[in-house]
Amino acid sequence: MMKFEDFKKAAFDAALEKGCTAAEVLLTDEEQFSVNIQKGEIEDYASAHSFGLNLRVSLNGRDGYAYTELLEEPEQLVERAMDNAGTIESDDDHPMQPACEYVEVKAPECRAMDMTADEKIAYAKQLEEKLLAADPRVLRSETTAVATVRVTKRLHNTLGLAADKTGDLCYSVIVPIMQQGEELKNSVAFRTGDEIFDIDGLVKEGVDGAVEQFNASPVPSGEYKVVLRNNAAADMLAAFSSMFSADACQKGLSLLAGREGQFIASEAVTIMDDPFYAKNPRAFDDEGVPSVTKKVVDKGVLTTLLHNLKTAKKAGVASTSNGGRSSSGPVGVSPSNFYIVEGEKSLDELIAAMQNGLVIFDVSGLHSGLNPVSGDFSLIAKGLLVEDGKAVRSVDQITVAGNFLKLMQSITEVGSDLKMGIPMGAVVGSPSLLIEKLVVSGS
Amino acid sequence: MVSKSIAAAVLNEALKTGADYSELFMQDSEFNEVNMIDGRVENASYQRKVGAGVRVLKGTSSAYAYTADTSEQAVMEAARSAAAALNGVKEFESKSFAVRQGSAPYERRFADVRNDERVALLREGSAAAKAYSPEITQVTGKYLDADHRIMVCNSEGVWAEDVRPRTRSFITAVAMKDGEAQTGYVSPGLGMGFEAYRQIDMKQTGEEAARIAVTMLHAPECPSGAVPVVIDGGFGGVILHEACVHSLEATAVGRGNSEFCGKLGQKIASSIVTAVDDGTMKGEWGSITYDDEGTPSQRNVLIEDGILKTYLVDLLGSRRMNGHPLTGSSRRQDYTFAPTSRMTNTFFAPGKDDEEEMIRTMGEGLFAAKMGGGSVNPLTGEFQFAVTEGYWVKDGKIYSPVRGATLIGRGADVLMKIDRIGRRMWLGQGMCGSQSGSIPTNVGQPRIRVSEITVGGKGGAL
Repeated sequence: MMKFEDFKKAAFDAALEKGCTAAEVLLTDEEQFSVNIQKGEIEDYASAHSFGLNLRVSLNGRDGYAYTELLEEPEQLVERAMDNAGTIESDDDHPMQPACEYVEVKAPECRAMDMTADEKIAYAKQLEEKLLAADPRVLRSETTAVATVRVTKRLHNTLGLAADKTGDLCYSVIVPIMQQGEELKNSVAFRTGDEIFDIDGLVKEGVDGAVEQFNASPVPSGEYKVVLRNNAAADMLAAFSSMFSADACQKGLSLLAGREGQFIASEAVTIMDDPFYAKNPRAFDDEGVPSVTKKVVDKGVLTTLLHNLKTAKKAGVASTSNGGRSSSGPVGVSPSNFYIVEGEKSLDELIAAMQNGLVIFDVSGLHSGLNPVSGDFSLIAKGLLVEDGKAVRSVDQITVAGNFLKLMQSITEVGSDLKMGIPMGAVVGSPSLLIEKLVVSGS
Repeated sequence: MVSKSIAAAVLNEALKTGADYSELFMQDSEFNEVNMIDGRVENASYQRKVGAGVRVLKGTSSAYAYTADTSEQAVMEAARSAAAALNGVKEFESKSFAVRQGSAPYERRFADVRNDERVALLREGSAAAKAYSPEITQVTGKYLDADHRIMVCNSEGVWAEDVRPRTRSFITAVAMKDGEAQTGYVSPGLGMGFEAYRQIDMKQTGEEAARIAVTMLHAPECPSGAVPVVIDGGFGGVILHEACVHSLEATAVGRGNSEFCGKLGQKIASSIVTAVDDGTMKGEWGSITYDDEGTPSQRNVLIEDGILKTYLVDLLGSRRMNGHPLTGSSRRQDYTFAPTSRMTNTFFAPGKDDEEEMIRTMGEGLFAAKMGGGSVNPLTGEFQFAVTEGYWVKDGKIYSPVRGATLIGRGADVLMKIDRIGRRMWLGQGMCGSQSGSIPTNVGQPRIRVSEITVGGKGGAL
């Protein structure tokens, strides 16, 4: 197998010689470790090293891609990419990023990266012990795992760009199964970075998450005021985040097309896309464009869509540094750290403000029960019934339905409890949201 | 991909710390993808994924190591890395391998297909969708093919090689009017070479996608409530996949995390229900000749006349389930995953009921003509499905198309409430995501009726 530098040089030489105007390679190298403990024994254990090289060539103004995990025969890969470029019929010009300067970013410490396999196993065993001891109703944990991932990306092109970065990620996750009477409930809780050492907090979150589901039943169908708890709000924002993609808008696949400068949400809503967000900072996007922080929605007004170099050129604006791509796919658009900015009130204060309604703490079916083109959603939900500002019982087997844009317009208050998702690529976050009205289907 | 002597040395190395089973999986797969938007090719890409994974088992403990570097040295290192998770020493006697060779239909290899042939398919589907109605404002098309070549061998002397060609094409149509948008999509696929497109009609695919989008654009929101639901055949079988069979996988049952634990031989469904998972159907999207542990694929009758007959069990699951027989169901997305029990082509077997009668006698309720995806929590059986094309039924007659419907419930309840099963069964294609990654699976059923399901929607009474 060839070395990266040799393969790159041979591929660039071949591409230019065969008539390409530019070529680019993205090497993704990933080292991964995870261990899952069950009853004090190793249940699963995985250790891995993977890598792949994605070649992009520009031929007659069109891009072609080819990816391989075998660094051999660079000329063949170039021919594959050129063949793909020759197939393209879109006239959109997709420039590559030339050499440029980046500000330095410092990722947060991640002590787990320096732990040995044995230390990680010991950590997971301790996590399981504490979980099992936390509450007599804990039967076991479906998963008690800790994982570390180190990803190195090297983005180099014939325009002189040579952008390299290494990112670390560690997380721990538990899925306690709890029993009360005949009822079984499970719940997922995780911590990332150095917060994985907050074992007590993690265990409490997992246990509380299962306990709050006991003795649940549906509520009658109807319209309810709703507090969408932070994790559920973040899940929904993530699922609809593609509506903010300029690519989707330009292709007629988003209802936000042409809505810049207009109110698309209530004045309570400000949405940031901040590549420098401290827990997951990045100096450049997946096209090598230097990071830019921006308000995407400012007090309800859509200020910008998310652009990569291609959509920006088409729209006559600058890239917003939202070029996104998987290790093997073409460049698209992706948020960086994308979140609704916190308001003043705690979750309890939002519930008190609502007086009567539902707290929704879990929505599922996100991959099928919603449609980012129409904005429609209909999701299975779990939560709490609130009467006179107090949670009176658990609720399950209901659906909440609506349209994302209408939901954004009916947010009356935003909580102070911003929660971000796992920092893998795009990270989406939200505080809890008080919503004027959602349609609930239940009993 | 690797010689038998090197493979044997790797398996031996993996056993050195006391594992009682070792397994080497190797893969060399090629993928082509073409995307079309608004009738023009947007991008085209090629991928080659190559790698190896070594798995060791000791009782019910497992360790897995994988590498994209398939050199002898790197694979040996993976073997040592997996072995390092276990302790102790065991003697290993080198055995000879019993070689098994898979055979999927593969007349036209994807390597011999030109990009313009792929593009022509998308063009045909897109044009048909666009021509369907002036309300169709956008059409996207996606073409995928994959040539998976895998080898798996283990310390029990199994050596299986399989070639798994697959191709699938998607047409998504968007209909827009007055600031509202609705989509329709159709995505046929088969487990064979490019000859699949003698069976797959792209024009019909595009028209169907457009028809759904336009119909839904003019549909009011679906009412909500607990009502009788008729679910049409084909992808409607997703209800079986989600609401039941995920909870029959050893992944859930072997750890006691399924509502169907300990129910073998018991009635878990209405007595008209027979359900099958069959990986041996030639050329189907979910078919495999050998599973990813080298076990031959088979036809598993899961439920017969309402009685639970078997779970879907892989090697590790079998160890957790007191030696339950293997069902040829061990699958993984690629070498970056250890395999586990998964589905192949899963369907309700045809019944005896009249397809029209079941609507005529349902009173008021929902006819779910096309289902989207869904999800389930195997522990509690709680599921959710999206209905992508629905019709409200009043007095046994189709009254109006309805949009935005979701079905929710618990698997065990729904199985007992099936009161009609039609005569003609067909399959629909999907990707199933679970512990061992995303894999192609078929779901299927004849038209069925469930006496009551909770329908979620945001509309008022119709």
